[in-house]
Amino acid sequence: MHLIAQDLVNGILAGGILAVVALGFSLVWGIMNIINLAHGAFIMLGAYTTYQLFTAFHVDPFLSLPVSFVLLFALGYLIQRFIMNWVARAPVLTTFLLTFGLALLIVNIALNVWTGDTRGVTTAYSGANFTLGDVTVPWTKLFTLVAALAITGVMHLWLTRSKTGRAIRATSMDIGAAQLSGVRVTEIYAIVFGLGAGLAGVAGTLISLSYALNPTMGDLFLIKAFVVCVLGGLGSVQGALVGGLVYGIVEAFATQIDVTIGGQHISGSGLQDAIALVVLLIVLIVRPTGIMGKATA
Amino acid sequence: MNQATLKRIGLGGITGNPIAFAVVLGLMALLLAIPLTHNGYIEVVFRNILMYAAMAYGWNLIGGYTGYVSFGNVAFFGIGAYCSAVLATHGVDNVLLYVLLAMAVCAAFAAVVGFPVLRLKGHYFGIATLGVALAVADIIANLDVLGGTGGLALHQVDEAHFSLYYYAMWLVTLGSMLGTFFIARSKLGYAFVAIRENEDAAAVLGISATRYKIVAWAISAMMAGAAGAVFAPANGFIDPSITFAIDSNVFPIVMTILGGIGTVAGPFIGALLLAGANELLQRFFVKAHTLFFGAMIVLIVLLLPRGLVWLFGLRGGVRAWLKSLAVYKA
Repeated sequence: MHLIAQDLVNGILAGGILAVVALGFSLVWGIMNIINLAHGAFIMLGAYTTYQLFTAFHVDPFLSLPVSFVLLFALGYLIQRFIMNWVARAPVLTTFLLTFGLALLIVNIALNVWTGDTRGVTTAYSGANFTLGDVTVPWTKLFTLVAALAITGVMHLWLTRSKTGRAIRATSMDIGAAQLSGVRVTEIYAIVFGLGAGLAGVAGTLISLSYALNPTMGDLFLIKAFVVCVLGGLGSVQGALVGGLVYGIVEAFATQIDVTIGGQHISGSGLQDAIALVVLLIVLIVRPTGIMGKATA
Repeated sequence: MNQATLKRIGLGGITGNPIAFAVVLGLMALLLAIPLTHNGYIEVVFRNILMYAAMAYGWNLIGGYTGYVSFGNVAFFGIGAYCSAVLATHGVDNVLLYVLLAMAVCAAFAAVVGFPVLRLKGHYFGIATLGVALAVADIIANLDVLGGTGGLALHQVDEAHFSLYYYAMWLVTLGSMLGTFFIARSKLGYAFVAIRENEDAAAVLGISATRYKIVAWAISAMMAGAAGAVFAPANGFIDPSITFAIDSNVFPIVMTILGGIGTVAGPFIGALLLAGANELLQRFFVKAHTLFFGAMIVLIVLLLPRGLVWLFGLRGGVRAWLKSLAVYKA
């Protein structure tokens, strides 16, 4: 019983980060129909921003959240405005290839700047935790979850209530009609891509608190972002949150599987990704548009 | 862009540009001579180019012709490699048998998995296939029978075998290329393209979409599996991280798009250029080669959004080219 509760808590704590990891990726894909393979590289840049601020100026990682967001937003905005915009109307695979090239570029620059060494952000409160009944909760992960929930909440409000948010949603529904109503699509695209990058930066900052850093760290999170946003439903804020939590919980429980069949020992910790992906397959077959997705053509 | 526009700029028809195809066949003939003039390192470089080309052809059939973008074709490459390894560790030393077994197993696996997965459309299909590939890699890494994460060692590769595997890979690539050519011109190919252009309309015309999609994926799987089946004995050793590498998953897709998606010449041109450029850059820029590699991809996409094959059919000179660039601008 105690193990189940602990797994559930671990899953929710990990799921919060995954939700932010997937949020920006999901918005860019859902709204602009761009599969942004540079998302992992943006996450890495966010993590290194925090690392740099922390080691050079002793800035608390949580305080560097806005810095990561602003820097990465600017980078994403400029990339969309001056590079991606040239092929904005090309088939989805063209932009797919373009972001692949960009990811290679960014990761390689990072390798030259920070080298391939593994680094970490260790604060005074890094190891601290508290117990609730039988369940141990690390403070950093709890704060991370709170930050993740707050960010998703703000994003949801901004997309549904603000004027720019409305323009973004209009563009994703019908680009031609949005243009006719006076929405400057080029500008909206740049904002959405910037937002996707900014959220990746925020995710990177949150990740840097609990994971080791190196320039190729983004790959793993890119794949998870892929899975989470489809699991929850593409292009929706709630979808990323629900998808992230489900994925985190399934992964946490998968580590506990430990059986031996016919001399072949099967341990869940090695199969954790496989199990999470089988869950994804089942969800997709039962609900092809994701858990929170709307039924569309 | 619709078919009429494509035809006007010299790209179109079901197999793509005929001049490009002729050039590719000529290049293939030249590649036959590689083991005679070079051995060792250069031979491995070209064998890898052929291997990536075969995988790109496999991906092109499902992703390019049928319009179902798979992110999991590396699963078939890996399964093919493990088929060889299992045969080799049981004393079978015949590359033809390796390839045949790999093709049979991959086709069967694709058909079984394809039945639920190919019901999904667009992005959802892509993610599901990615899931299949990662799950297969994870499961193999956890099976002691297949060596787990430690991998399997095949027999020692001697001098004579070395070129044998090169020619085997050449045949696999030629087979994939000609297979694509003849399939594209057959009723089967037209069914694939019909599904890509409009699945509902295809169904109305009496094309059983599910059946054709499974056929497309199974053939695609056979091409990747055959490449894996030759790779394993040529490399002499396999483990999950080699056979299910992210590169083996992404490179064939990138090569196909770069060369020209949904054409017969495209995958080969993309593989030759990309793997070749990667090799050269690695030689001249030890530290920054990926930087140039990334920049090269970005530039090609911006300047030739339809792929390199497009160059062969360009009519109307620089002005037509500039005009075509504006088509995609927001």
